[in-house]
Amino acid sequence: MLRTQEYILNFGPQHPATHGVFQVILTLDGERIVKAEPVCGYLHRGIEKLAEARTYTQVIPYTDRMDYLAAMLQNWGYVQAVEKLMGIEVPERAEYLRIISGELSRLTSHVLATGVYALDVGGFTGFLLCFREREKMMDLLEELTGSRMTTSYARIGGVADDVTEGWLDKLDKLMDEMPGYIEEYNGLITGNEIFQARTKFIGKLTPETSINYSLSGPVLRASGVNYDLRKAKPYGIYDRFDFEVPLGTNGDCFDRFYCRVLEMEQSVRIIKQAIEQIKEVDGPIIAKVPKVLKPPKGEVYQEIESSKGIIGYYIVSDGTNKPYRMHVRRPSFINLGYLDEMLRGYLVADVVAILGSIDIVLGEVDC
Amino acid sequence: MLENLFVGTTDWLRSLLGGIGFLPTEIAESIVLVVKLVAVLVFILVNALWLVYMERKVAAFMQARIGPNRVGPWGLLQTTADIGKLISKEIIIPKKADKVVFLLAPVLIFMPPLMVFAVLPIGKNMAALDLNIGVFYLLAIASLSTLFFFMGGWASNNKYSLLGAMRTVAQMVSYELPLVLSLLGVIMIVGSLNLSDIIAAQEHTWLIFTQPIAFLIFFIAAVAETNRCPFDLVEGESEIINGPYTEYGGMGFAMFFLAEYANIMVVCAMATIMFLGGWHAPFGLTFIPSWVWFFIKMYVLIFIVMQFRWTYPRIRVDQLMGFGWKVLVPLSLANIFVTGIGMYIYRAIGW
Amino acid sequence: MFGKGLVKGLQITWKEFWAPKLTVEYPDKQHPMPERFHGKFVLDVDKCIACGLCVNACPNRVISLNKQKVGKKQYLTDYKMDIQYCLFCGLCVESCNKGAIHFTQDFNMNQYFYKNIPLVLVRREAPAEPLEEPATGGEEKPKPKPKPKPQAPKEEKVAEPAPPAAESEAAAGKEGQ
Repeated sequence: MLRTQEYILNFGPQHPATHGVFQVILTLDGERIVKAEPVCGYLHRGIEKLAEARTYTQVIPYTDRMDYLAAMLQNWGYVQAVEKLMGIEVPERAEYLRIISGELSRLTSHVLATGVYALDVGGFTGFLLCFREREKMMDLLEELTGSRMTTSYARIGGVADDVTEGWLDKLDKLMDEMPGYIEEYNGLITGNEIFQARTKFIGKLTPETSINYSLSGPVLRASGVNYDLRKAKPYGIYDRFDFEVPLGTNGDCFDRFYCRVLEMEQSVRIIKQAIEQIKEVDGPIIAKVPKVLKPPKGEVYQEIESSKGIIGYYIVSDGTNKPYRMHVRRPSFINLGYLDEMLRGYLVADVVAILGSIDIVLGEVDC
Repeated sequence: MLENLFVGTTDWLRSLLGGIGFLPTEIAESIVLVVKLVAVLVFILVNALWLVYMERKVAAFMQARIGPNRVGPWGLLQTTADIGKLISKEIIIPKKADKVVFLLAPVLIFMPPLMVFAVLPIGKNMAALDLNIGVFYLLAIASLSTLFFFMGGWASNNKYSLLGAMRTVAQMVSYELPLVLSLLGVIMIVGSLNLSDIIAAQEHTWLIFTQPIAFLIFFIAAVAETNRCPFDLVEGESEIINGPYTEYGGMGFAMFFLAEYANIMVVCAMATIMFLGGWHAPFGLTFIPSWVWFFIKMYVLIFIVMQFRWTYPRIRVDQLMGFGWKVLVPLSLANIFVTGIGMYIYRAIGW
Repeated sequence: MFGKGLVKGLQITWKEFWAPKLTVEYPDKQHPMPERFHGKFVLDVDKCIACGLCVNACPNRVISLNKQKVGKKQYLTDYKMDIQYCLFCGLCVESCNKGAIHFTQDFNMNQYFYKNIPLVLVRREAPAEPLEEPATGGEEKPKPKPKPKPQAPKEEKVAEPAPPAAESEAAAGKEGQ
């Protein structure tokens, strides 16, 4: 007897478009998705548990390994949590350095997300042209921190190193060039009709669902919810800068993508202002902290706006030099929560488009 | 001298064989034909190798890279080295694959481009076989590849391969139609199915100027026929890994890979013959041999196809079918209609 | 108009086609590494006092260190880094009070065999008896004390190893690679 039947397709864990080792078990009707079951955990390294056996300073390199595309932001969230726990005042220059390196990290992450999204929908050149600029930014990060991706730059109470001679000028020059590059991405990727046909009205998210599912970052803002921690609850010295929070209207893949592109422009603005302001600020780059950190008993939750969304660190201290428990609210993981409903009814090709537009990084999903 | 390099060689060979004396003319002719076909074979293989290298260089140059540069001068021998490596690899047959079909597909995939090239006139008097129904033969053979892609995809017994194979069939069948229909305008104007006649008709005006829409439709459909970006859903490496070739390794993969380039060459050569005046020199620049002109035109088209690939994202499967059936087919039908009316009017006013 | 973006894309790739290329032919040419690059480690054995601060600072317990007491001072006999576990975070370099361990710009740490991966920075025999006692006596001024570490060894003397020993350990360092 002739009949059609649904079948199961293992999308990943070894699939080029899942951005790492992520598996989606798709139930397909032809090419249409009936059900999607995300399976994560292939990159689980137990960072939260590892942190319990490390001193407070030693945890910093591990936070790098979560969202390795914007490592500085992860460091920053962690050290802010510890600083809040211990009540450490961070010197002004250190705050500026954190802003500069943090926004640079955000830029590298967003540039990569833009490029990888182009690759996901099939445009290879957009991918490598984005890599070109990312490379320049990573060269700068490397000069500042010694590492390209896993920077480990933030320290509890400040940052690891001051800028080298002429570094700020190089950064300033790159930031001047950035709008031209972003224009190029817009021409090559955003403005392309095929790209728009692939991404517009795909994977729509309403503001209500976004809030209900606790989504954050560009994914949330693309559906029109104006919530950016840098503006909503300014941490560090973000209140000193003049920038806007780009919002989307439809909450589809295109908006999520375009939000990142617009955010890149804002990051460039912030960095340029910070470069102007840091020249007047002198002083230490790290506060006076004891060599052995023993925060008082208690617990703390601190969240910052990472490139993927809100990253929050919850730390319980028992008064020793090691955290009793650390938990990280990883935006990539939480943003994935709505994936199943988002994918239903779309085609296999849209899986890639939707997954790419959420911009997950598997180090963070699996922690 | 250069102009008649190949024609002269053939004539020399023919007279040499004739000079032997005891050979009947039929046998001498068939020996000449075999030599010609072997030459075509070698030519296509060398060109496919070169095109892989060219694609990699073009891609690299568009992406601020330098591309292959290790093997040979400027990396010229890179593809040769790659093929050498692929040949030396083990042929892995999946346990549940249909062995015969699985192995047959990569062998047969190279057949259509080879057969097509036998009739293509690549210079003045330079068709290996001057068929009367050249266009018909060409279209019939070129659409055979669909079958081999499907064979490979089906026999692999892999869901990704099957998806890719299904996409191939859907895509190639639906783009075959505008491809043929767009050529109909050309055939109507020329009034012959012989490729040499079509070229001869373009001595003064290339058909791209009288049939611009047909050229566009033909070119788009041709890109889709060869599974090139933005219509490369068949491979679609970010969606279905590698489509029908997912389970192939070593030389099986290399055959599919090289066949893709041979196919590109075939469709670009077809476009050159049908619309760009074949081997006719533009602006009276006849001091450059006719076959060089043919290659210049063909390679310009190939470059454009490559640039498409490295510029555009991939179209989605429903959009692809929609574009084919809702845009290209009606447009090519309209083109035939307009061509017919135009021809009627021209004839009525007695041009 | 439909198609404008498509043409724009072609223009951009055409422009990029002629733009200067940024990659280099790697093994022949290399991009320069910045000063602070976290590359291969080197240990300045003359400065090292075998205090073990770096061992404690390392989040992944990469560093193992052996020392022997020769006369009054600690003598470093073994300094090995299991570089396959190293995070290259730089906490060991930061923790060193004497500036003995630091990064180089050399990023190439490839090995064919697993057993060659650990980076042996020092491997040498301790001298049977302290050489040139007076040298230490003269220089025995307490250096800026590092903050008390839980298990930090108590010796903080600056040790000027004797010249012959220094030569042998340079040789040992070479051989270790």
